[in-house]
Amino acid sequence: MIAQIKEFITTIPVKKVSVKDLLSFEKNFANYLVAAFVVVGMAMLVIGVITYLGHGHHAYNVTREHPWGLMIAVYIFFVVSSTGLCIVGSLGDVFGFKDYELISKRAIFGSIVTILAGFLVIAFEIGHPVTMVIYNVVSPGLTSAIWWMGTLYGAYLAFMIVEFIFLLKNDMKMAKYFGLAGLLIGLAAHSNLGSVFGFLNARPISNGVFYPTYFILTAFITGIFIAFIIMGFRYRLRFNEEVKKMLTGLAKIQALLLSILIFFVTWKLLTDIYGGMPDRAEVAIHILGSGTFWAEVILAMVIPLVIILKTGGKAHVALVFASLSGMVGIFFMRYNLVHDTQLKPLQMLKKVEYQLPPEWVHYFPSATEMMISIGGLAFCIAMYWVGTKAFNLDADH
Amino acid sequence: MARYGMALDYKNCINCKACEVACKEENGVLLGADKHRIWVGVGEIEGEYPLLSIVSNTFYPSQCQHCDEAPCQMVCPTNATYYGEQGQVRVDPEKCILCSYCMNACPYDARYVDDRTMTVDKCTFCTDTRLERGETTTACQNTCPTKVRIFGDLDDPQSEISELLRTREHFTLKANLGTKPKLFYLT
Ligand code: SF4
Ligand code: SF4
Ligand code: SF4
Repeated sequence: MIAQIKEFITTIPVKKVSVKDLLSFEKNFANYLVAAFVVVGMAMLVIGVITYLGHGHHAYNVTREHPWGLMIAVYIFFVVSSTGLCIVGSLGDVFGFKDYELISKRAIFGSIVTILAGFLVIAFEIGHPVTMVIYNVVSPGLTSAIWWMGTLYGAYLAFMIVEFIFLLKNDMKMAKYFGLAGLLIGLAAHSNLGSVFGFLNARPISNGVFYPTYFILTAFITGIFIAFIIMGFRYRLRFNEEVKKMLTGLAKIQALLLSILIFFVTWKLLTDIYGGMPDRAEVAIHILGSGTFWAEVILAMVIPLVIILKTGGKAHVALVFASLSGMVGIFFMRYNLVHDTQLKPLQMLKKVEYQLPPEWVHYFPSATEMMISIGGLAFCIAMYWVGTKAFNLDADH
Repeated sequence: MARYGMALDYKNCINCKACEVACKEENGVLLGADKHRIWVGVGEIEGEYPLLSIVSNTFYPSQCQHCDEAPCQMVCPTNATYYGEQGQVRVDPEKCILCSYCMNACPYDARYVDDRTMTVDKCTFCTDTRLERGETTTACQNTCPTKVRIFGDLDDPQSEISELLRTREHFTLKANLGTKPKLFYLT
């Protein structure tokens, strides 16, 4: 058994990567921009982590009334990306849609690096990550959505890694089995993440079935956005026919998904406001007046949808840029979700609390929170870059 | 086994805040506005002179409700939040990972972060301090000049709190959420 495992690992096709390889890239503006971002972002990560280690949660702007801040949003951003890429990757190698096999390896590898980036960020948000690893096992809280989400995501990561190895070895059958298991566990994990918010009876704005389902929908959308960005970089915006066909297919799926999303969000807000239920209607109206909500709507929904519909999904280059806009919008979507949940003070008869007038809870991320978050993105891009050098991520014919 | 609860004759409260001080003193709660286990909510006087609404000027002492169906306990991923033997809802700092989920899930804003242990803390009904020493009152109750607070065993029909809950009308906070609080407001 051990010998088999050893053989399994030693036969993974990995290319040797030297530092020189890592530093060699086509010298153009976009590449320099990304490289500079990665270097600056990694430096920020180091500074952010050192500040956190020195000051603990005091380095963050989280408070009693707003205990979850930017880093929870960024964690969600990354794991949504991961689940989304897993769905996109599965189109080809699990469901057997031939057109999409082209991106399977890249998407599955992307789903691994994004979830690792998510774990990196959350490790500095959770007060005691080591205790978590121990007591998650020793005294599991089975009624806790966070327990299920964390545990399932751990298993998901393992399945994705094994699936990726089988893809590298071109063992499509095994990749399919592990891919299917990983996909199902990933979907379960991700809807559990939605239920972390959906189960909050104390927060009428988030409570209910909406988030667990909406998370899966937005994951798929995020996965397609990232697929465009990944392919845009891979082919430097000069796509061949095969890639164009796949991208048009993805764009059409995206148009449908975005339309469903707009429909969902519209009805969510209408039901929130209808009847003026306290703690829910006011919050929803407040959300409608916030700039970050409209950033989410315009960047992630309107711009990409309009471009797809106007061009029939055939303007691939424009869609790469629309996808970048989409990802910025998706970031706001995650931030809004976390912030809006906590907007309304629980009040609890503290009509005049010493520190809090009973209006809205305010929060703005601290420099440390921002640095670690940006660092997480830099880390994610850096790992992906290493992956493109170490593995053959293109589909074999 | 006792099952502790507290009744609050809240209309007698004069907002002296002696209970808040006593709680911090007894249980070593850190200073700072965010760090409080108990508090007194103040309804300010409404209206313009001379048409002032005296009834709007009310004081509501409050704290963790030691819910029988506690959302904070349900959401805790490591069971760091647990039910004590006498029905108190407690936090084990050894197991708490500071995920802050309980702070978001508690409908009563009863939890805060203790900066010494970097774990979540809340009212314990003085379990580790006074009850441990064999006393039968909490610090807030002991210090209250107008006898707002009555702490005792809900399962003992002879206890003062049981007697009060039998004879006086009372309500619990956010009862619609089904958390079954063990803090009762006497009307
Ligand atoms: S009041 Fe809040 S902290 Fe106390 S038991 Fe209930 S849910 Fe938990
Ligand atoms: S912060 Fe601590 S007590 Fe609260 S849910 Fe997380 S682990 Fe449990
Ligand atoms: S000690 Fe008694 S009267 Fe004073 S604030 Fe507390 S509950 Fe009110």
